[in-house]
Amino acid sequence: MSDQPNFWQTLLSVLSSFFGVQSERNRERDFRHGRPIHYILTGLLMATLFVLGVILLVRWALSLAGI
Amino acid sequence: MVRTIITTIGSGLGLTLYSTATLADWTVNLTPGVTDVSRSVFDLHMTIFWICVAIALVVFGVMFWSIFHHRKSRGAQAHHFHENTLVEVIWTLIPIVILVAMAIPATATLVDMYDTDEAELDIQITGYQWKWRYDYLDHDLTFFSNLSTPREQISNEADKQEHYLLEVDRHLVLPVDTRIRFLLTSNDVIHSWWVPALAVKKDAIPGFINDAWTVINEPGIYRGQCAELCGKDHGFMPVVVEAVSRAEFQQWLADARAAEQAEAAAAERVWTLDELMQQGEQVYLRACAACHLPNGEGVPGAFPALKGSAITLGDVGAHIDIVLNGKSGTAMQAFRDQLSATELAAVITYERNAWGNSLGEAVSPAQIARLLQPATGEAEQ
Repeated sequence: MSDQPNFWQTLLSVLSSFFGVQSERNRERDFRHGRPIHYILTGLLMATLFVLGVILLVRWALSLAGI
Repeated sequence: MVRTIITTIGSGLGLTLYSTATLADWTVNLTPGVTDVSRSVFDLHMTIFWICVAIALVVFGVMFWSIFHHRKSRGAQAHHFHENTLVEVIWTLIPIVILVAMAIPATATLVDMYDTDEAELDIQITGYQWKWRYDYLDHDLTFFSNLSTPREQISNEADKQEHYLLEVDRHLVLPVDTRIRFLLTSNDVIHSWWVPALAVKKDAIPGFINDAWTVINEPGIYRGQCAELCGKDHGFMPVVVEAVSRAEFQQWLADARAAEQAEAAAAERVWTLDELMQQGEQVYLRACAACHLPNGEGVPGAFPALKGSAITLGDVGAHIDIVLNGKSGTAMQAFRDQLSATELAAVITYERNAWGNSLGEAVSPAQIARLLQPATGEAEQ
């Protein structure tokens, strides 16, 4: 089980998928040793954080404009 | 023909080398307009245009150079590799940086456009099939603005004028250097009120009120159109804004209200059949002919004929009712708020006596004025 990607590796893979670029080496590792549920949960978490980030960005932009 | 095309392409190429100001004079480009917002929209447009030009030059430059430099006749060998993560990351990061850089000034302009606070003058704009209604909310003034291009020009029976399909019977008169708020809605379907010179383009949606604002810097006449496909005469409901000085605007307001009172007073006097027929024809061509056609024959299956119809030759009460209140479920609008008592009486008289309909009876403006009274009272409450 030591081959299984750790949390940071899983997170990096999910962020790579958000970005749209992944190296072949990491892809092989993920598909050979990873479990789908880890990527799905990390993906949901990251998507939530992304949406929250956009909301904060909009609030910040509006507060800069004095609204 | 070929020479025209070459000249056009040539002048187009020449113009791209000129300064931004020269480009603005070329009518294919966006107008810089006459407001601070339209100016910043124009600047934004030009900035992004030049960014696109730069990207195109770099991308196509590298591409053409590569194709030419590594051509087969020079014995170039393709380099076989599957992926290069570093290059992929770089070509993803560069567009992100460019997009964010463009989003910053765009956001500033959008925030400014949507800030409709602190207006000195409120104008309600209501879209109708196919005309605009303008309410000067604090000045007790309402009127409709109809296309005034003669029908003969539309059907190619007369030469087309300079402002073909872009002229109306009553301009939306606005003062310059005044913060004006537009409140937009619609009476029937979705329309969109668009004046490029003001950089205002806003949907008018039934049951909703959208807002927009402007401060016009220069007096002048600015033309626009409905920008949301709204039915048969979508292209026949132009917008004409006339910006005048603040003093001239006050004078115009006073004149317009005086004219409205004179119109109301005129309804009280006795009108002859000839007078009513004469005005009725003008009103008919402006308000009715779009659907029922100038010859009163309508469009079979869509808009009923008035010539020889049961309504125009039948009971006058039913005829008045359908003109004043419309007919629900059909395109027949209620004209009680759109036309004055005199205009309504004239057009009903006209319909009962034109195109071979010859009842010989006149509907009096005073009679219509009495019918309009109670409903007007309810509407104001």
